[in-house]
Amino acid sequence: MLFRLALSNIKNRIRDYIVLLTGLVMSSAIFYMFANLATNEDFIKTNASFKFAVPVFYFGEVLLAIITFIYVMYANSFLLNMRLHDYGLFMMLGAKKRRVGSLMVLETLTVGVIATALGLVLGVALTGGISGLLFDHLGIVLHHFNPFYLKALLTTVLLYLILFVIAAIFNLQSLIRTPVLKLLNQTDSVDKIKVRGFGLFFSGILGVVLVGIGYYVLHEIVVFQLMAIPIALVTIVLGSYLIFRSSMTLIIHWLKGTGWARHKLNNFTLSQIMFRIRDYTKILTITSLLFALALGAITVGSGFNRQIDWMAKMSSSYTLAVNNPTTQEQKLMTQLTGTKIVSYDQKFVGKNVIYNEDQFVQNPFMVVKYEKAKDGTVKAPKTVPISVQKLKSDVNDQLDFLGLAGRTGVEPSFQKTNQFNQINANNNSVSVITVKNIGVNRDVLTKLNNLQNKAHPQESISGIGVGSFQAYLVISSMYGGLEFIGYFLGIAFLAMLASCLMFKILSGTRQDAIRYNLLSKVGTRRSLLRQSINREIFVLFAVPGILGIVDVLFGLQMFKPILDKPYYNIQYPILIFIGLYLIYYFLTTWLYKLIVLPKKKK
Amino acid sequence: MNNQAIVSVSDLHKTYGGKNEKQYEALKGINFDVQPGEFVGIMGASGSGKTTLLNMLATLDRPTSGSVKINDQDVTKLKGNKIADFRANEIGFIFQDFNLLETLTAEENIALPLSLQGVRRSAINQAVNAVATTLSIEDLLKKYPTELSGGQKQRVAAARAIVHKPALLLGDEPTGALDSNSARELLELLTDINQKQGVSVLLVTHDPFSASFCDRILFIKDGVIGQELKRNGDSRTEFYQNILEKLGTFEQ
Repeated sequence: MLFRLALSNIKNRIRDYIVLLTGLVMSSAIFYMFANLATNEDFIKTNASFKFAVPVFYFGEVLLAIITFIYVMYANSFLLNMRLHDYGLFMMLGAKKRRVGSLMVLETLTVGVIATALGLVLGVALTGGISGLLFDHLGIVLHHFNPFYLKALLTTVLLYLILFVIAAIFNLQSLIRTPVLKLLNQTDSVDKIKVRGFGLFFSGILGVVLVGIGYYVLHEIVVFQLMAIPIALVTIVLGSYLIFRSSMTLIIHWLKGTGWARHKLNNFTLSQIMFRIRDYTKILTITSLLFALALGAITVGSGFNRQIDWMAKMSSSYTLAVNNPTTQEQKLMTQLTGTKIVSYDQKFVGKNVIYNEDQFVQNPFMVVKYEKAKDGTVKAPKTVPISVQKLKSDVNDQLDFLGLAGRTGVEPSFQKTNQFNQINANNNSVSVITVKNIGVNRDVLTKLNNLQNKAHPQESISGIGVGSFQAYLVISSMYGGLEFIGYFLGIAFLAMLASCLMFKILSGTRQDAIRYNLLSKVGTRRSLLRQSINREIFVLFAVPGILGIVDVLFGLQMFKPILDKPYYNIQYPILIFIGLYLIYYFLTTWLYKLIVLPKKKK
Repeated sequence: MNNQAIVSVSDLHKTYGGKNEKQYEALKGINFDVQPGEFVGIMGASGSGKTTLLNMLATLDRPTSGSVKINDQDVTKLKGNKIADFRANEIGFIFQDFNLLETLTAEENIALPLSLQGVRRSAINQAVNAVATTLSIEDLLKKYPTELSGGQKQRVAAARAIVHKPALLLGDEPTGALDSNSARELLELLTDINQKQGVSVLLVTHDPFSASFCDRILFIKDGVIGQELKRNGDSRTEFYQNILEKLGTFEQ
């Protein structure tokens, strides 16, 4: 009978259950995505060729498990609040506490099992979809990677099983301790906020110090080695928590004292944020950390991406040389973007390849010039023109130039136009292609490269030194795995963070709906209510976002030993990230308004 | 008299239920006026339509037909922002369950209607302090609603309802959640506000004790106003007896 009651309750509150399940499903799906990489040691060892790779993933897994734990606890208290009244009612009607308790455990576990099962299905689909997209986009092939990975599946199931059993025990405890009357008359009481200036100030300072220590160990990762990561995790998490607790309370308290607060709904908005911040401190800390992890992962991923282009360009002054381009090849060449194509005539006589010197005066050949910056690091490679004289004098050192022949064992030489035209040999030509961005033109370049290899099979020259595209192919097979991991984790963390924050905000709508309804009754314009909601949620999104960005800026120090320039062009990943984050913001405000704003009268 | 009335309700009908649903007529043609400075009670049993009527007056709901004029303005014709502004400027509410925002202190709750109108900060502070003195709640201003008793909460709610000097004060069972002492205090307070500040009060209640503080009582039953009872200078106790007698016959 009670079981049927529980079922009918789910039917009545389907919307709440959908919110709850969506949140849990997302969380388990994302945990699976992460576990798929993290538990796959073969994959990590083959693809992440830096020495911290396995422990970094291990720490990541522990961290995500902790986040998932807090997330499940939130979801659970949401579920409990939803059901407490009914449990009280059952008991009032004479159901035994034991009976109600077992019903509650059953319900919690059922929700857990359904959520985990759905989450795993979604997780496999997401892993497959996102990795497929990334492979397509990055043009890499990975070994030992499979969207369906049993070890990850079992890890996820085990973790969620443990979490939900703990949740059920918590629920049982609070049910046993709460008297029936209180269960029936559950009201949302809001604790008074005591602003103790000194204590808050002190904890704020402590927070800043802790975060500072975290940043310092990341900066000195060479000194602290592996210990840097757990130290930074603990100090930054704790520090962020204290900063949120104190600084936001102090700032809002100060703002409430100003005249601005007395204007329209400002005071209400501030109070909402103030109460939220306290209630949300944990989730905001998590969010800022996830934000940092996601942004960091994407930045590092794109760092490796840039590294590939950059290192490839260092190996050669041009991208690809095409000997005797056919019409098909010429058509392909027009499809390239950001290109510079220079054509030189060639005549092969015996063991010699003869070039027209005047063409080299008109369009000088380019070579890579390596420069060291003052601090000893290598500067971005520059290509500079080389004079014909220089080319003649150290021709054997100019591998790029030698490569233009398209075959080995020929000696280059130069003739003026007149003499060149009189040479009795077939007219050949070579087109030297230079593109700004190899990654963007990867597909067309691959086709050209394949056609060239087919046309001159016996003369294919091994390895690096004949166009940077060859180098690109070699390096991208080395770094592609890291790039993939970066983007993949970035997306996973972003999804986790957004669903965490969204879930927490939406789970508070029940009380908020009452407040907005009341405000509307005392004559608040709808536009003002909307504005207040937009601002409130904006602050809740922006604050962890800002702290997350700061975390990333410092956290990238950690990658200095393995990435050439971790901060190069950092604004782009940040901007892209903010864009994605904003989409979540708009989605949340939209859903929130849908739930809390009183319905418009027809 | 009619054009001077602060509230003028004529031929008000309200039918619930859509075209294909079961129809239910909650109000079946209500007519009455409230003169400026009057303290009027509306009494009726559960389901008599008194809450529906109050919702119409408060622009929280729209009538099916008929008109409600408050301060010579037909409130049934208002739309969107006009409704919000009308509520913010012309009427004050006191609800049975207080409806204070628990995230704001008493002071901030009281200041809310003025903040919404964009009144300057100094003027707001002045008005809030003035109304707090009138209602003797100066000590409660810095407290949050959860720290207040029911009676105190309702005083704060009353302060919020009159701080912007509305033309009409609407009360929906304001004593419903109070103990008898707090209830008496609140009703005395409302009488005081009515007499000293000249605010018209319209009280919806089913409690004869609350009603005995009014000047005039309209009895509503099954969607129509059945009877009217005037105080005519009787003492409150005498009026209370009259109400009880009237109720005894009216509800039969």
